[in-house]
Amino acid sequence: MIKSNSLFKKIADNDSPRRWLVLALIRAAAVITCVVAAVFFLIRIVPGDPAKMILGEHSTPEAIQALHHSLGLDLPLWEQFTRFVQNLFTHGDTGASIAWGTSTRELIAERAPVTLLLIVMASVLAILVALVLATLAATNKDRLLDHLIRIFPTITLGMPVFWVGLLLILFFSVRLGWFPVGGVGEGVAGTLYSLTLPAITVAFSQIPTLVRSLRAQMLEVLESDFVVTLKAAGIPNRVILTKHVLRNSALPTLMLLGVNISYLIGGTLVVEQVFGIKGIGSLLFSAISKRDFPVIQGIALYCAISVVIISLLIEISSWLLDPRTKGKQ
Amino acid sequence: MSKFNAFQRKTFWVGSLVVLLMVVLAGCSGSKNDSAQNTGTNQSANQGTDTSKNTEPPATGGTFTYGRPASVTSFDLHNQITANNAFAIDKVFEPLVAFDSEGKIVDWLAKSHTISTDGLTYTFVLRDGLKFSNGTEVTAEDAVFSIQRHLTVGGPLAIAAQVASLKAEDAKTLVITLKEPYTPFISELTNFSNGILPNKFGGVTEEEFFKNPIGTGPFVVEKWDPAGDLTFSKNPNYWQEGKPYIDKLVYKLIEDDSQAINQLKAGEVDGIETLALGNANEVKQGPDTTVATNGSWVTEQLFFNTLDKHFSDIHVRRALALALDRDGLTKALTFGYAQVANSLLPPAIPYNTNDTIKALNHDEAAAKAELAKSKFPDGFTTKLLVASGNSTRAQEAQIIQAAAKTIGINIEIESVELASFRERFFAYDFSAMLNSGQADSPEANSILAFQTDPNGFSKSYWTHYTNDEVTKLLIEGQKTLDGAERGDIYAKLQQILADEVPYIPLYYPDIITGVRSSVEGLVVLPNGSLRFEDVRIKK
Repeated sequence: MIKSNSLFKKIADNDSPRRWLVLALIRAAAVITCVVAAVFFLIRIVPGDPAKMILGEHSTPEAIQALHHSLGLDLPLWEQFTRFVQNLFTHGDTGASIAWGTSTRELIAERAPVTLLLIVMASVLAILVALVLATLAATNKDRLLDHLIRIFPTITLGMPVFWVGLLLILFFSVRLGWFPVGGVGEGVAGTLYSLTLPAITVAFSQIPTLVRSLRAQMLEVLESDFVVTLKAAGIPNRVILTKHVLRNSALPTLMLLGVNISYLIGGTLVVEQVFGIKGIGSLLFSAISKRDFPVIQGIALYCAISVVIISLLIEISSWLLDPRTKGKQ
Repeated sequence: MSKFNAFQRKTFWVGSLVVLLMVVLAGCSGSKNDSAQNTGTNQSANQGTDTSKNTEPPATGGTFTYGRPASVTSFDLHNQITANNAFAIDKVFEPLVAFDSEGKIVDWLAKSHTISTDGLTYTFVLRDGLKFSNGTEVTAEDAVFSIQRHLTVGGPLAIAAQVASLKAEDAKTLVITLKEPYTPFISELTNFSNGILPNKFGGVTEEEFFKNPIGTGPFVVEKWDPAGDLTFSKNPNYWQEGKPYIDKLVYKLIEDDSQAINQLKAGEVDGIETLALGNANEVKQGPDTTVATNGSWVTEQLFFNTLDKHFSDIHVRRALALALDRDGLTKALTFGYAQVANSLLPPAIPYNTNDTIKALNHDEAAAKAELAKSKFPDGFTTKLLVASGNSTRAQEAQIIQAAAKTIGINIEIESVELASFRERFFAYDFSAMLNSGQADSPEANSILAFQTDPNGFSKSYWTHYTNDEVTKLLIEGQKTLDGAERGDIYAKLQQILADEVPYIPLYYPDIITGVRSSVEGLVVLPNGSLRFEDVRIKK
């Protein structure tokens, strides 16, 4: 990964999965520690006081002081940090929310499933659409269809997510009444149904980059010698495309997808806000505006862990697609 | 290659067809689900009409879903102040006296009240047969306990009167005596924070009690997520017979404004609490939606830091007031949902002098002459602090900026996020700012004490405005019994403020609530709360 990491490479090259796992975990722990520490100090540097957000303009100095004391915000910064770390290890929690009073862990556990489901739905949708569009474009290189498909990402990339979401709501929910305007429905079917428009909105922002990357890779593979050889050997086109071309061009797109999904873990904020979904993104938004320190820290921790897990999963799936990359990532 | 492509295209057209089919299927199963949901709500609404044996109006039953921008985080009435909690607390706990939609004080849990002529003794007699939602009788001891806890806790709406004693004379009679007269007391008792709860929390701990609060209000908490929605069901023991008409009241958390409006339009909610001025007419003219409005206790203002280098000069403040066309500003920004402000006190508050006061009205020549008298006759550059996220305020700032420019004052608009905004003005770290002042009860003192008392924690609303004459009048007003004499005091006080301009009152915004056209009988109170016990949903 990094050139100076020759030791890492050496151990990884030894091809012991257990060793690889140990190294990956050490790396993950380092990343998570850095994120948590950085967020802890950053949010305290930013102006704004949770006590004043609760008490509003009736915050008498006594009331502020009393609230600070009960929240432990009157302690020196270093002591606050050690308490925070202690709490993290003894209770596995970043503390009780200042604004809502409930445990941060519970708040996140309650809201994470919706956001994760939204990300999965959006990613599946984005992959399906990207596969179709990229294949059509690559196999019709420089024809009208290819040009149309290549214009599409340029346009959609320029459309802000909240605007796409609002348009979808206005048309499909308010005008046609096909989908709920917002919120999350009850039961599995209700949830999936209510998340359809949000998922399309998220997918909209993901599709352009995926199509571009996949199309470029497919073109490269389609023109490579081994495809010509396969064709010359009389292998059916369907087999060539699905077994060889797609598989060989999927790798960079998979990496890109990994980056996209990692971004979405905390980045569905705008979509959740527009569609009134009570997920991680909207929780983060309220927590930041209320300066709810424990919740902000909790979400940062959750995002860091999720991103690390996703990058591990992507790494593993890239091995499966192309065993040559094993240990090289 | 062409053969390849032909084949390719075929398979992928088939592929895309499959995808399309899936989308359509998803849509279908979805709409089925939707209709199921709809029949669900219809049923519950019909149950209500069935019980009234299909006699057309008045309709009863059903659920009222109310979209609100912030969740209910606590029912502890003595420790809360913000609207998200206040407007839920007042559904569960009710005070002895209350205010109506005109802001008039009326008996509520008390069937009568008397104030002695010396202004020291307040006697309340409770209604007969008054019960808490759990069925136990309400006694004067409960009232003593409730007010005593408020006195002990203090909190953001602390009782300002000097209470000498609190006594239950008999099961139904409560007597409060004060150490010295404090006329605003009766109106402060109308606050949600003076609601009545069971003596000793009905035998449970404080913490448990506020998780499952018991009061006399029209609604009972059924399901509550402090970071999400709240469901109330009707209180079967409510003292106003036959009310509430609806079975359930749901507070649905919708943080985004346009999401709230769209849910209202689509009928997913029956009402929304906040409606930006710019969207009011769109909702009013919608086929299935309308607005419920009322005058408010709010005065939108431009505040000056009187410790500031420039704004400590009275002539500068007066010049800016004269340069500003408040009439034009109000018309441009509020779409008819506000009244131009002349006095600090809004018309919905007793003793306001909005119609009689001599305010500094727009006059560019006079403004220039006034600035010439100041220490900065050639103008200067200053900053205006505004909280971001409020489009009306952003435009307000621009209008003020343009007006100031006409007399040579160059204003830079500084827009910061709400938490930083509060941090800044609490520390007097501003030259001028846009904000609003609000009364908590129908009482002149409520706004005046907060905005003119340099010894209070708010230091004349962080303007640090200090005028001994004003402070004297403020205290006199608190001790003078209601009547013409008190009116004179407040008229004088408001005139001094209009002349010395520690702040420029701009306009009094209306309360605007978006509702479905099927909603009847909604009472909008001047503090922004709604009386849901009077609501009916027409089907």
